[in-house]
Amino acid sequence: MLPTVLTLPFVAAGLVALFGHRAGSKLASVALAVPLAIFAWLVAQVGALPPGGLVWSHGWIEELGLALSFRLDGWSLLFALLIAGIGTLVLWYSRFYLGPDEDHSKFVLYLLLFMGSMLGVVFAENLLVLYMFWELTSISSFLLIGYWHEREASREGALKALVITVIGGFAMLVGLLLLSLSAGTLSVRELALKASEIQAHPFYPWIVGLILAGAFTKSAQVPFHIWLPSAMEAPTPVSAYLHSATMVKAGLYLVGRLSLVLGGTAAWTYPVVVVGLLTMLVGSYTALRQRDLKALLAYSTVSQLGFIMAALGLGTPGALGAAAFHLFNHATFKGALFLVVGIVDHETGTRDLAKLGGLRRAMPWSAAFMTLSALSLAGVPLLSGFISKELIFTSLVEAGSLMGGLAWLLPGVATVASLLTALYSFVLFHEVFDGQARGTTPRPAREASPALLLSPGLLTAVAVLVGLGPHLVTGSLIDPAASALAGQPVEIHAALWHGVNAPFLMSATALVGALAFYPARHRLRALLERLTTRWTAERAYQAFLNGLMGLAQRVTDRHMTGRLADYLLYILIAFVVLVGGTVLANGGFALRPLDLASPTVVELVLLAAMVAGTLFVVRTRSGLAAIITLGVVGYSVVLLWVHWQAPDLALTQLVVESVSVVLLLLAFVHFPKLERKPVAAGRRRLNLAVAVLSGAMVSWLSIRANGTQLFEPISQYFIENSLPLGGGRNIVNVILVDFRGLDTLGEITVLSIAALGVYMLVGSRIRRTRREAAERQEGEGL
Amino acid sequence: MSNLQLAPLSNLPVLPVVVSLLFAVLLILGHGRLRYQRAVGAAGVLAALVADLILFTTVLREGPLVYRAGDWPAPYGILFVADRLNVLLVLVAGVVGAITFWFAVRSLDEARQRAFFYPLFHVQLAGVYGAFLTGDLFNLFVFYEVTLLASFVLLTLGGERFQLQEGLKYVIINTLSSAFFLVGVAILYRTLGTVNMADLAVKVASAPDQGWLLVIAVVFVVVFGLKAAIFPLYFWLPYSYPTAPTAIAGLFAALLSKVGIYSLFRVFTLIFVAQVSVTHHGLFLVLASFTMVLGVLGPVAQMDFKRILAFHIVSQIGYMLMGLGFYTPVALAGGIYHIVHNMVIKTGLFLTAGATEEVTGTSHLERMSGLLRSHPVLAAVFFMSGLSLAGMPPFSGFFSKLALMVGGLQAGGYLVVAISVAVSFLTLFSMIKIWRYVYWGPDRGERRLDARATSPLVWPAAALLLISVGMGLGASFVFDYSYATALELMDPARYVAAVLGPQAAAVLAHAGL
Repeated sequence: MLPTVLTLPFVAAGLVALFGHRAGSKLASVALAVPLAIFAWLVAQVGALPPGGLVWSHGWIEELGLALSFRLDGWSLLFALLIAGIGTLVLWYSRFYLGPDEDHSKFVLYLLLFMGSMLGVVFAENLLVLYMFWELTSISSFLLIGYWHEREASREGALKALVITVIGGFAMLVGLLLLSLSAGTLSVRELALKASEIQAHPFYPWIVGLILAGAFTKSAQVPFHIWLPSAMEAPTPVSAYLHSATMVKAGLYLVGRLSLVLGGTAAWTYPVVVVGLLTMLVGSYTALRQRDLKALLAYSTVSQLGFIMAALGLGTPGALGAAAFHLFNHATFKGALFLVVGIVDHETGTRDLAKLGGLRRAMPWSAAFMTLSALSLAGVPLLSGFISKELIFTSLVEAGSLMGGLAWLLPGVATVASLLTALYSFVLFHEVFDGQARGTTPRPAREASPALLLSPGLLTAVAVLVGLGPHLVTGSLIDPAASALAGQPVEIHAALWHGVNAPFLMSATALVGALAFYPARHRLRALLERLTTRWTAERAYQAFLNGLMGLAQRVTDRHMTGRLADYLLYILIAFVVLVGGTVLANGGFALRPLDLASPTVVELVLLAAMVAGTLFVVRTRSGLAAIITLGVVGYSVVLLWVHWQAPDLALTQLVVESVSVVLLLLAFVHFPKLERKPVAAGRRRLNLAVAVLSGAMVSWLSIRANGTQLFEPISQYFIENSLPLGGGRNIVNVILVDFRGLDTLGEITVLSIAALGVYMLVGSRIRRTRREAAERQEGEGL
Repeated sequence: MSNLQLAPLSNLPVLPVVVSLLFAVLLILGHGRLRYQRAVGAAGVLAALVADLILFTTVLREGPLVYRAGDWPAPYGILFVADRLNVLLVLVAGVVGAITFWFAVRSLDEARQRAFFYPLFHVQLAGVYGAFLTGDLFNLFVFYEVTLLASFVLLTLGGERFQLQEGLKYVIINTLSSAFFLVGVAILYRTLGTVNMADLAVKVASAPDQGWLLVIAVVFVVVFGLKAAIFPLYFWLPYSYPTAPTAIAGLFAALLSKVGIYSLFRVFTLIFVAQVSVTHHGLFLVLASFTMVLGVLGPVAQMDFKRILAFHIVSQIGYMLMGLGFYTPVALAGGIYHIVHNMVIKTGLFLTAGATEEVTGTSHLERMSGLLRSHPVLAAVFFMSGLSLAGMPPFSGFFSKLALMVGGLQAGGYLVVAISVAVSFLTLFSMIKIWRYVYWGPDRGERRLDARATSPLVWPAAALLLISVGMGLGASFVFDYSYATALELMDPARYVAAVLGPQAAAVLAHAGL
């Protein structure tokens, strides 16, 4: 069943790609049948999962550690329910959110692709399969952020999200492969059995670092969080779904998933907890500074992701349960908040806090949903956020108690961040909905249609219900999720009232502090502005992009000059360095006596003629003289053949040289005048050195080879069989036409092609001349 | 040691070359007649494809095949040897060639179609087939010349001034490469007295003067490296290909540099394997790293669609060389997988660029915008092909790179793997750059063809994309094939036995190979 569930969104996406454009704006309401069906199936699995989960497995490529294996256990089920459930609501919502003339089919296509990929991430039991879906979520997220790609900001935001998450993804891939190398498997279940072996492996720190890089970038942890606010350029339902409820939680999913494999050590716990809490703090105070509602929610998401990350990092059963619970609650209330902000934006035309205010009268339902969800985010009792937050606080206090003098640190940071969270949560509903209607919005506010309100309404209802009766979900969903992570049965104690203890005091401090500071929030904001070193991560990202482009440009321009002389120089240098280096490393250039035969006088004279001729060709400024001298060099070679008693070669060379010289002379009239461009003196010396060295190199190779005949050559066979088998006395001829006739066929082809080329070049030249002449005549005629 | 036996003799290995040359002649005879050219040209491409397919299935079924030209026995005559590696490349070359042909019929201007485009196309294919299939080092040189001349004339077809300028650089540098090739063959023949590859393998394995043989090996690295366009020998490639019409550039992208990398794979798994730690783990990995990095910086900087793609030919060759450099079965399998993947997808990208250029009249990124809205299918084909090139799942590029990474890490090549990952990111970055400029953005700028009129140009690219998707979803088949091929390559005794018989192979076994 798992593969069927997993393929369903992709099949649907294929259908949408092919036929979606015909359905118009109704497409989304048809397509939501897919997540709805999946959701229904998942709900049926709640409480019905076998121990160890539902497994489906099939081999794939063993050598690479790839296996098509999937598993649905408590932790996956929690995520899958969110993916399918919120996916259904978001599809419904976007059908009314997007205008009738927008491209619904692409939107639904991307969303279905994302949904399938995200389900793949949480179903995958093989970590490489998980990685494959992981990258697909990055790609579909990229397409969705850039949905309104006519806008520059959308394109930039999409790029930033992709760059950061893909770099993290690639790092993670390497980490996974190292993991596979150290454990011999990539199945999560088998890895968990080998945890101690893995943690003792020298790769372990690398594995942790690289995999966490993937998780942190995906889940927008400091300093990689900067992509998430930019991703808010996406349509709001996308922000609610991908960039708050599901995709950004993939990093949390992975950290949770691997805590049995990699967790329990300082190398794992410290980075996760520290980065998590830091992210929580940075996210919450940055959220407070925002004046754009979506930006505020984006930083709030960053902050809450950090909070959950820290809890996962603690890794105790209680902390894992608390993390799972808060993750669920965050998905619901933050989803609702985004969708309401989308409604506000949709109905008033703005998300700017400076322009909004007093909308309660015009938009009572939106106001109610926003207020309840924001209070849940703030951690107000009787709402879901309060309960799960308390649970995480409990774990933080416990963890702190092991840290001696620093016991206050973890709870302290969390309390401050929660205070700031409560503060901006109050802003969310108070500044937007309370007070007098200001009439500063681009469009006069009015309540959205019930259809649009349905989705945030349902999500808010979940937040309220879970707040009143946490047992609705804890036993059936949260406990199995935490148990799957902890590898042992976990039961969380979610209650509205635990008595006056440290976590309660932390919650109270945060809420009371937020109320106390609320009137002074503008001054606090100004103070924060001055305190923070703003946008350092953002600057780093820009510097990275600019540096990369600049470096690429400089390097490319520097060596890809477009000049043949440069290219030849590089290639010859490469030849001399590579071959010469090898010679030096293997006995050097010394030649043995048997390499050197003493040349005869004739040979020396001919050699001198050739060298002199070549030098002259290089030096002369007259093309005519160059052609003739080239001929001289060629004829000297002919004489050498004669001297060495090779009449066939001599004759062939003679014909070639004669024809070449004659043809070149005939064509000479059409040659442009030889012009010498001035060359810098240093470059001239370099050219000279390289030319001499490569010539010397080839000479050395020839001489060395000549003296190194290690085996009897096959030519003896040709000599013996030329007449009896080849039927010819001229061995060269028999070689050419029989023994190695295929070579000759190839050379004939080469010559024919060359002839064709010449024929066409001349033809095109003639046509061009005629055309130009005709044009001239026309010009004169006028 | 199994399968150490002589391969059956057969005429099949030479069939693709013969068919292509035959049709080239037929096409020359009927030049100037457009319908004849198209019909006979198509028949030729299909006939060659059928020949490739027969050869492929036969080798798959029966193991290596040997063709003796003129029935002269090895090692004296010229042999064609078809084994798992080269029949795969021949088949993919045939498929990519046929699809490029399809694109050419639809995109190339009539003047060029009427001139000698079609015969040259077939000679080009014949040259590539010959270079893949020959078992003789000097014959390889001859087929290099055939491909070189055919590609040079194709490159300058039309005789525009800029074509001639770039074509001249192309032909001069490649002639230099031919000269090096001749030097290499000459000193090798003098030293070992043979040019038959299997015989060379035997003699290298039993030769005393290994230092000198290493020098000769490095000469061949330069020779094949120039053809394959690896660092520091690739300069001729990135600016010359884009001057040709797209159909031609696409064909070059698929075939030419692959002939070079194939030769490296062949010669450095069969002949020069005595000092793997120097040639492979040392030289190749260093060159591969530089090739990847310098090849990818060009696309990051460039703003011309086709030049970006041409630079990527270089960067991707680096990956293939990396597979050869690690010289483990998994890495080598990754290298083979990557060659096949790249032949398909790089051509697909070139054809996409060509179709886009037909629509917009330019290949400059900044002069294009918003084709996603006006030409969604074209945009989708580009997007997925680009992802495949960058190695994103579930396309073929992911699996080949995964195999390379796994092989590399297993061999302890952490730095090289890290470089390859960074280069993958930059590849994706450059593809996304094209996407952002050309397909995203407001729908503006010139549109010479509407979406309907563009679709005949998009189908060939879409077909190639489909193959890439197939090679991704069917990754296990491609990988298993590549892996079995890699194992075969790493056991040169099998090749030697197929050509020269078990006794000759025993020499290799004796030398510890």
